[in-house]
This record gives sequence, structure tokens and C-alpha cells, in this order.
Amino acid sequence: MHRGHLHPISSLIREANRIFFDMGFTFAEGPLVESEWYNFDALNVPKDHPARDMQDTFFIKGEPGMVLRTHTSNVQIRHMEAQLKKGVQPPYRMVTMGKVFRNEATDMTHEAEFFQMEGLVVGEDISLAHLKGTLEHFFRELFKGTNVEIRFRPSFFPFTEPSVEVDMRVVGANAPEKLRDRWIEMMGAGMVHPNVLKNAGVDPEKYQGFAFGMGLDRLALLRWGIDDVRLMHSADLRFVNQF
Amino acid sequence: MKISRPWLQKFFDAQLPDAKAIAEALTFHAFEIESVENDVLDVKITANRGHDCLSHRGIAKELAAILNIPLSNDRLDTPAELSPHTDRVSVDIREQDLCPRYIAGYIRNVKVGSSPEWLRERLEALGQKSINNVVDATNYVMFHLGQPLHAFDAGKLSDRDGTYAIAVRRANDGEKIVTLDGKEYTLASSMLLITDAHSEMPIGIAGVKGGAPAAIDEDTTDIIIESANFNGVSVRKTSQMLKLRTDASSRFEQVISPEMAAYGMRAVVQRILELAGGELVGFVDEYPKPQQQKTVSVSLEKINRVLGTQFSADDVADVFTRLMFSFSEKDGVFTVQPPFERLDLVIPEDLVEEVGRIIGYDHVAADQLPPISKAPAINQNFYSAERAREDLIAKGYSEVFTSVFAENGDRVVANKVDGVRPFLRSTLVDGLKDAYERNMRTKELLGLKEVRIFEIGTVWKGGTEVTMLGLADTSGVREEEVPIVNAPDHYDNLPVSQAVRYQPFSKYPFIVRDISMWVPDNAQSFTEVVQIFAEHAQGLLRHVDLFDQFQKGDRISYAFHLVFQSFDRTLTDAEVNAIMETISHSVTQKGFEVR
Repeated sequence: MHRGHLHPISSLIREANRIFFDMGFTFAEGPLVESEWYNFDALNVPKDHPARDMQDTFFIKGEPGMVLRTHTSNVQIRHMEAQLKKGVQPPYRMVTMGKVFRNEATDMTHEAEFFQMEGLVVGEDISLAHLKGTLEHFFRELFKGTNVEIRFRPSFFPFTEPSVEVDMRVVGANAPEKLRDRWIEMMGAGMVHPNVLKNAGVDPEKYQGFAFGMGLDRLALLRWGIDDVRLMHSADLRFVNQF
Repeated sequence: MKISRPWLQKFFDAQLPDAKAIAEALTFHAFEIESVENDVLDVKITANRGHDCLSHRGIAKELAAILNIPLSNDRLDTPAELSPHTDRVSVDIREQDLCPRYIAGYIRNVKVGSSPEWLRERLEALGQKSINNVVDATNYVMFHLGQPLHAFDAGKLSDRDGTYAIAVRRANDGEKIVTLDGKEYTLASSMLLITDAHSEMPIGIAGVKGGAPAAIDEDTTDIIIESANFNGVSVRKTSQMLKLRTDASSRFEQVISPEMAAYGMRAVVQRILELAGGELVGFVDEYPKPQQQKTVSVSLEKINRVLGTQFSADDVADVFTRLMFSFSEKDGVFTVQPPFERLDLVIPEDLVEEVGRIIGYDHVAADQLPPISKAPAINQNFYSAERAREDLIAKGYSEVFTSVFAENGDRVVANKVDGVRPFLRSTLVDGLKDAYERNMRTKELLGLKEVRIFEIGTVWKGGTEVTMLGLADTSGVREEEVPIVNAPDHYDNLPVSQAVRYQPFSKYPFIVRDISMWVPDNAQSFTEVVQIFAEHAQGLLRHVDLFDQFQKGDRISYAFHLVFQSFDRTLTDAEVNAIMETISHSVTQKGFEVR
């Protein structure tokens, strides 16, 4: 019997975990059905804030205050809380990869369920420069044999301050065709907002850190030239068996 | 928001660079640019800057700081005088939490008419329609300063002893208003109204839209201008409930400084007198709790510690000066009094961001994380799932993902946008069964003898969220919990995809034909046969599967499945039969025997 095939998202998660593990990151998890506290409030997204409209949220019937998580950022809070519960103060290095949900119509580039990767580093002197260095290292490992550049642009997320968009450019003959030689927006990131640290029980006077979040489906689409994001959940071997 | 370059130029004596350079400056120091067309930039204002940047002045201030060119006009650094006062209009704010400020300005004897060319062009460049000189003046000032304004026809309000009375109050449940566009809205008590206090007649939905009863028309001579401040949450909820989003509501819902109302009033009165003539009678300003000056402090050390930079005190002072902040510095600590409209500046980190973005994040050099003594923990669930994946893949199973949304289950989504399959699955079996059947129908395309698939995914059953492992193969579909294995202190070095590029597959049906033949027992004859297939298949041969072979003497028998499929149409039997005939013919001509 021939070997079967690993789903491209699982392959990306496996690669990403390996790269981050070598940088000292722990793979953490969190629930998909999540409370609004962990999904929004603890992340400094207050009720009635326009930012809460930015994410089209699925609510669970008959369970007030429960949602399908709109991002993997809930794991930031849960991870820090779990560490403190064990009596472990920062430094923390955490990465999480899993499914998230947006209540929107699906088409070739939009899915209601997709995958995100989230990273969190907290310490006494963790800076935006470390964020840049970490992401550069990650993408250079992921796209070995190419020249990867990273740049930041200002942005806004309620859970980071300052907030940045991260662009990447992959140069070289070995670069995937859709990524080659052009700047592409890859993720949102920034320095963890002091309120987020506080909400998780970490002293923002003493500690600071960075966080980032990225769509894995989109990374897969760009890396392998996949033309329709809905293939990810198609369970179609004409798709999966190409990986 | 649409921003016109010629409009921006009005704020500067110095010449601005071209639209492309402006777009570049904003992109790397402030906001994403959606598009640049004919000197109009579509700027994506972030949610934290809706307070001050939904206007040409807001963007001009950003450019002044980024490009380091002084803002020459509308600096708004001196108080706006609202004089003379008038007693001819009274304002009664009955809900001070929902309306922190209300200024009314009374002008008599205006002449309503069309707007001059320059004003029409300005508004049209932003995709706005010119209405008349008075209404256009209010819109112009809104896009200029960010303060929404409204003009009422005083002649349509009731006066008592020559005075008009405006009240800001909650609507009564079921109260109705017809807005300027002639639509009737039924209101709720959560909504704020502007009313004629003498007659109790609603004349506007506060912060959202004006009412038809006091609309400006060509017979209007006396007008009352509203420059007010409304609670952001209240306006947002009203606008959502009425499904009525306007340029005014989209600004108020971001929360605007009540200080801006005075500047907006001054600017619009000046504009109206210039465009429509008339005499200013005076103003009335209800502003019970004026906005207090805030102070935010940050140390140079903190700025550099957060950004990972080595900026000097001079660098920081330069940024704050360019941003028109009032500030002082003592022992490396900057104490900043933000401009009144910069409601986003609250904590030290907000100032760190200002320094980072104005100097530019290209000045943040990449740095490696410091060494860490703690070894990362191994996630046992992930480790176990990875082991299960590898074990199954080694046995020929491929991994699939199916949707978590299902026809039935224990939990259900309340607001699914497409309405279909609103349940959260309680099992992987249904999705895998469907996936198995679909893959069985296409397995010949992939040359698969059988379909073996698995999924590791979340299900919700019995009130818990669990990760299950589901399998589908010839013996059926089943699921179990992922077997938990004890993890060592590292993850296994498992294979990852070596795929370079995905190849799209055809969505059209395929046709399978079999052919078997005797050929001489040598490697060359096999190659020749496969070449014949390719030559005659007209590019429609997707897969060749040698499913049987056996030897007899010096000859060998091959049996093939040939899979035909088009990328742009459904193939017919006749078409494929014709191809098979030419293939048979060619094989025979080669001297082989088709069986």
C-alpha cells in the first residue's frame, strides 16, 4: 500500500510547530466554542466597541455569552492564566494553531471556518524588534533557499499597542510563484496591550511582549498556488493527494 | 474615507507631493490606502482613529507630521469664539449623557440656491451629490473638519414671541419621523431625537439624519444650524436598529470630541454667509461638562524598550512637535497634552506607537529573542494527534477536513448567515461517510484501488468539546477518541509536504475505458503503448492505470484503465469511443494484439 497524504494545513502546522519549538515556543490549545470574555473582553475588545463589529461572530443558541471563536487569540489569555495557576511567571513563549470562524458568505477566498496561527512572547524586555526577528526567522525557515524580507506598517487591533501589519517579500528562484518578488500582507501583530496582560493576571508594569496572528489557509493558498480556499474542507482526494 | 489631494492642499502653504507619494507616506506611517484614482485617495481609517481622521483635516495633520511640513490652515489651536450669543433660540438637552454638547447658530435672510462650481466639484470628487448651497456648506465642513452638521428651516419651526426652542430628548416608543429622503421610521425609546420643543415635533434623528418637516428648500430664508456632539454607542445602536447609516452616524459612532462642534459651527457659518448671504443673529451653546485636558506621560527608556530601538530624546521631541502635541520633557520623561481631537491617546503605549510609526517601523531592526532557560513543554494532545496521523498515513490513509457545521447535533448556531447546516457536529461519521462516497466516485481519476481517509477534528457531544479520530475505508466509517500516547521531550521529525505547486483539477465527469493487449516482453513495448495512448487522447487522458499483467512465453499481457476527462466540458461516450478506436488501431498497427 502506498503512503496516504497529509492535509496541507496539517503539513504547515507541523512545519510551523517545529520552527517555533526550536525557538522555545510551547504549542498551546484552547476551545473552539468560547466565552465572549476570552474571545473579546479579556482581549480589550469592550462591548459596544466598533471593533467588535469587525468580526462577524457566530453565537450559540440558548447559551448566552458563548461564541465560535473568531480568532486564536483566546489562547493568549488561557495560556497565561494556566501558567500563573501553576505559579509560573513570564517569560512565556507560546504558539497555537487551530480552527476559527467568521459568519460570512463563502466564496473562492472566504470560508466560514479556517485556520489561524497565533504567537505570544512575554518577558521583561521583549520588543517590537524581537517580533521582527522572530517572524523573519520563521519565514526564512519556512521558505528555505529563498531570500525573505519582512516589513511593518501601522495598523490597529484592540489587543495590541502599537499594532502593525506584517508584509513579506520572498525573493529568489525557489520562491513560490504567487509569493515571488512582491510584498504581500501576511498577518497582524503588535505589542500586547497592557490591558490584555492585566486581564490574564500578568503585571503590565513588569512585563511586556508581542503577539501575532495569521491565517494558515491563505498562507497555503499563496505557497502552493491553490485557487479556492473551499478546497481545504472539501475532503476531496483530488486535492489532498497532491500534497 | 475618500480624500481629495487638491482639498488636502488647502491646509498647506507648501506644495504637497503627488497622490502616489501621499499614498506611500500614509501607508507606511498611518493608514492603508485602498485605492488612488484621479487625485482621490481611499484611505482606510483604523477604528482607533475614527475620532479625528474621518476628515481632510485629520489626514492633513497626519501628512504634516509624516512629511514634516507645517499645517498652515485650520490648526485649531486657539479657542473658537461663539459670539454673539442669541436668545432667539433656546436649546434644552434632556439627555446629557447622550448629547454632551449642542450648539445652535441662527442665520436670517439667506438665499438658497445652487452651489458654485468649486464646491460642487469638491463634493462630487468624493462621490457626493450637490444639493444646494446651504446643505452643501454643512457637508463641506463635515468632510473638511469631521464635524457632522445640520441645517433646519427656521420658518418651519414654531416660534413663541419670536423665539425658537430645540429640545434633545428620547423618542417615545412607536413615535414616527419622516426623514429628508421621505422615508418614515418608527422609533424606540432608546433613540435620541431633535425636536421642536414648542410643538414636540421631531425634526431629526440625533446624529443620524435630519427630518423632512424642517428641511431646507428654495423658499427657506431663516435657518438654524446644528453643530452637536452625540454619544457614539447610542448613535451606533440607533443607526443599526434603523438600518440607516449616514456620513454623520459613521462619524459620531466613532466618538468625536465635543470641542470640534464649536470649530465646525464657526466654519459652517462663515461658509454659508459667503455662499448664501444673510446675517448671523447669534449662537447658543449648551455644553454642561466641557472636555477636560488629558495628560499622558511616557519615558524615553520605555519607548526604546518597547520598540527595541535607540531613539534619542530629540527624535521623540521632533515626532511630538510634528504631531502638534503640547509637551514637556524632564529627566527623560515626556509629559504630553494631546490635541483635543486625539481621543485615542490615553496610555504610554499610545505615545510609543506615535513615535514608532512617525519615525517609521523600518527603523526597528530585527532582533533575535534572548536565550530562554525554560524548555518548551510538549503538548500531549498535539503529539498524540501527530502520531495518529503518521500511523494512518503509513497505512495508506489520507487526511481530510470536513465542516464542523452539520444537519443535526447537540448545539446550534443562532445566527448563521447562510442558514444552512446550523448545528455543530456531534460526530465525524456523517461528514466522513459523505466524503468517502464522493471520493469513491472519483477514485479512478487518482488510480486508487480503494478509498482510505481519516479526519482528526472537534465534535460537540454531551456538553463537551472533544477531538475525535474518524476513519472511512472498505470496512465502513467509525470514530474513536485520539489515542493518547506519552510524549518524550521533543516532537518526532515527521515528514511534511514536498509539493511545489497545486494543479487544479477538472470539475467535469470522467469516462473510464479498459484496453488489454499482448505485446513482446520488453521494456520498450510498454513505453510505446503508453506513448500511443498519449498521442491519440487529444489531451483528455487524465490517468493510465495498469491493473493487470501476466506473461505467457515471450509475450506479456497488459490491461489498462484509461481515464478521460475534459477541463471545459462533459465528454460524450461517442467522443471517447472514437479515441479508443484510434488507440486500438494504432496498437494493432504496431504489430501488437489487442485482446
